[in-house]
Amino acid sequence: MQEFERELRQALERRPAPPSLKGRIVQARQRRAQSARRWVLWQRLAASLALAAVLGGGVEWQRHVREERRQGEAARQQVLIALRITGHALNQMNTQLAAHGRAQE
Amino acid sequence: MAHDWQADFEQLVDEHQAMVFSLALRMTGDRGLAEEIAQDVFMELDRNLARIETADHACFWLRRVAMSRSADALRRRRVRGLDLWVEMEDRHGIRLEPPASPLGTRLEQLLATLPEPQRAALVLRYQEDLTPEEIAATLQAPVATVKSHLQRGLKLLRAKAMHHLKEFVRVKEQASGD
Repeated sequence: MQEFERELRQALERRPAPPSLKGRIVQARQRRAQSARRWVLWQRLAASLALAAVLGGGVEWQRHVREERRQGEAARQQVLIALRITGHALNQMNTQLAAHGRAQE
Repeated sequence: MAHDWQADFEQLVDEHQAMVFSLALRMTGDRGLAEEIAQDVFMELDRNLARIETADHACFWLRRVAMSRSADALRRRRVRGLDLWVEMEDRHGIRLEPPASPLGTRLEQLLATLPEPQRAALVLRYQEDLTPEEIAATLQAPVATVKSHLQRGLKLLRAKAMHHLKEFVRVKEQASGD
């Protein structure tokens, strides 16, 4: 049995790997590293775009709020002017009616 | 735990490519597939390089993954209905590269006909010179099972090789007589 085991051990000595194997492994590793780098770049780009969209949306929303406030203020001023004009007209009419009443007396 | 050993991927490939390739070749019997498995195993090592703590750990890890990937490849081939060894010998007439002696060649061919668990145990025992305990750790199997596979595999291989061995001894005796 020992002789047989010795023969078996000899028969099962390690075989040298094909000479091209290491090169292929190194190339595959480089390809994967490049692909991982590309994936990280895409992730960063996507994150940057998302951040830019959020910031842009925020700025646009603030601008919109400011514009609405400005328009509201302008409308308020117009109403106040209209009220002043109306008040002035009513005063004039009141004065004229009072003068007309005095004239009839 | 802190450790000083630094894994150098290319150095590990240099040191262990013959081992990984030989394990895959002897388990699958297909040179092309063995190369694919070896490449796959080292890519897996690259992904797990940070977890490798020592040179011995790297060697153990590579052996375990090489055996497991080879078993997976054999399972996939079986599912597809292909028996590699039968295909190699009957359809293409391909033989493994011959070892030094004709008996060695025959033993290697006969080893390929053994059931997969026995073949795995014998390859690890006689190619890698591992103890049954180390084989059990590599194959993640109980030591008793490994010992049984080793015994039965060796017995079966010996029985299969008996005829050829007798021939070999006869030729040897003739040669020494001359």
